[in-house]
Amino acid sequence: MTEATTTQPTLTPVWDLGVRLFHWALALTVGLAALTGFLGEADTLRIHITAGLIAAALVIARIVWGFFGPTHARFADFLPDPAAIRAHLNGADARHLGHNPLGALMVFAMLAAVLVLAGTGLVILGGVLRLGPLAASFGPDAGFGARELHEMIAFCVVALIAAHLAGVVFESRRSRENLARAMLTGVKESRPGDVPVRETKAQLLMALLLIAALGASFLTANAALSHRPVPGLPVTQIDATTAAECGACHMAYPPSLLPAASWQALMAGLSDHFGEDASLPPATAAQIESWLTANAAETVQTLPARIFARTDAKAPFTLTETPAWKRIHGDLPEALFRAKPVASRANCAACHHDAATGRFSPFAIAIPKE
Amino acid sequence: MKTLSLTLALCALALPAVAQDTTPAALIAGYEAAAGAKADPAAGRDLFLANHTGGKPDTPSCTTCHTNDPTKPGQARTGKAIDPLAPSATPARFTDSAKVEKWFGRNCDSVLGRACTDAEKANLLAWLSSL
Repeated sequence: MTEATTTQPTLTPVWDLGVRLFHWALALTVGLAALTGFLGEADTLRIHITAGLIAAALVIARIVWGFFGPTHARFADFLPDPAAIRAHLNGADARHLGHNPLGALMVFAMLAAVLVLAGTGLVILGGVLRLGPLAASFGPDAGFGARELHEMIAFCVVALIAAHLAGVVFESRRSRENLARAMLTGVKESRPGDVPVRETKAQLLMALLLIAALGASFLTANAALSHRPVPGLPVTQIDATTAAECGACHMAYPPSLLPAASWQALMAGLSDHFGEDASLPPATAAQIESWLTANAAETVQTLPARIFARTDAKAPFTLTETPAWKRIHGDLPEALFRAKPVASRANCAACHHDAATGRFSPFAIAIPKE
Repeated sequence: MKTLSLTLALCALALPAVAQDTTPAALIAGYEAAAGAKADPAAGRDLFLANHTGGKPDTPSCTTCHTNDPTKPGQARTGKAIDPLAPSATPARFTDSAKVEKWFGRNCDSVLGRACTDAEKANLLAWLSSL
């Protein structure tokens, strides 16, 4: 009977495996990066950075696929012009098997946003944490600037995702098809009157070679850039006298944690040093003070040096009274600081395993369990 | 005066004031000579274990940081561990005259609000060395 063949819809492949894998992998990595970025703390930063970098790698591969992939993967298939966008907004255009003009705009915006997020993310990593390939290129000022941009674009991406989901629901109802399922199965019903399609074959080998070459160049560049010496880091060799005298009662705090004026005030009051007499012979005290001030926060370009330099006027050399210290540690329970392995807020090294270096990397935090 | 007498005592022992320059016994002898009295370990123990009011409020007693068992490690208010004070547990204790004087100077001020007398130093070292 011919009746069966006319009611049976003709399914045609639209989204190739590459596009589908990219789409869901991007959704996963961007989702993970957004979750850890908006809600995470230091302990999820590694996941955030990994997810973000994978998302960027996916986008780069997708861009290659946009030139060498099959029909609907190609940018040429869905690059919209203003007239097409207008027609689509007026509902005057035919059905698009691939991305419709508004969907296409979302795709381009998302690809660009993920790349800019990865770029600004690397500037933050380099400038604020002084880690990664750009650590030698940027300091805290550039890092903080990049962070503003990073946050702004992250909010834009959330808006893009919301618009995308709304668009999928709206367009699925309008064209009476499940667009989300099509991104899983790859096939769509082809209907008479659809916008004509220019079939193109994928150049798989070319695409893979290009992606491999790009990947290799990024890895090489990363290795070369990361190898550069990073300027403005805290002094690595603690002065022997300072280490011996200050280290007798507590961790020899890295000089970059306080500005020079604070060190001078602290050294002037050693006979009542946080409630104890810590007097030193004048010559020893002078030697320690000159080393501390010579390597004080002003001489260093790191996040701790920057944020703890804004001291509390009433306690100019009490690190744990600085607004930044209180803000960062505010949600930690009082009991943690009192209990045995930590015992005191002054005991940075109980949780920050790199405390002695003055770096205070978020990757070196391990809060003791007890 | 006390510093002078201690210096004289140390000179009498003919030892240079550098690290590892002395022994607990020699220090006790020096403080005894300066005080003009024999060391009393029981008085040293009482001074060590007692609560005092003259010093800084955070450190009312030696035991605040050193605990009441000097053969065991203590903990500074900063969280840093302090090696046991008793030479039987920490052999390097009381073998550096400058270090002993520095810490008597600081901690007597923190706990008692004054310097310790030579007699008190002799008593404390005698008790700690007897453990």
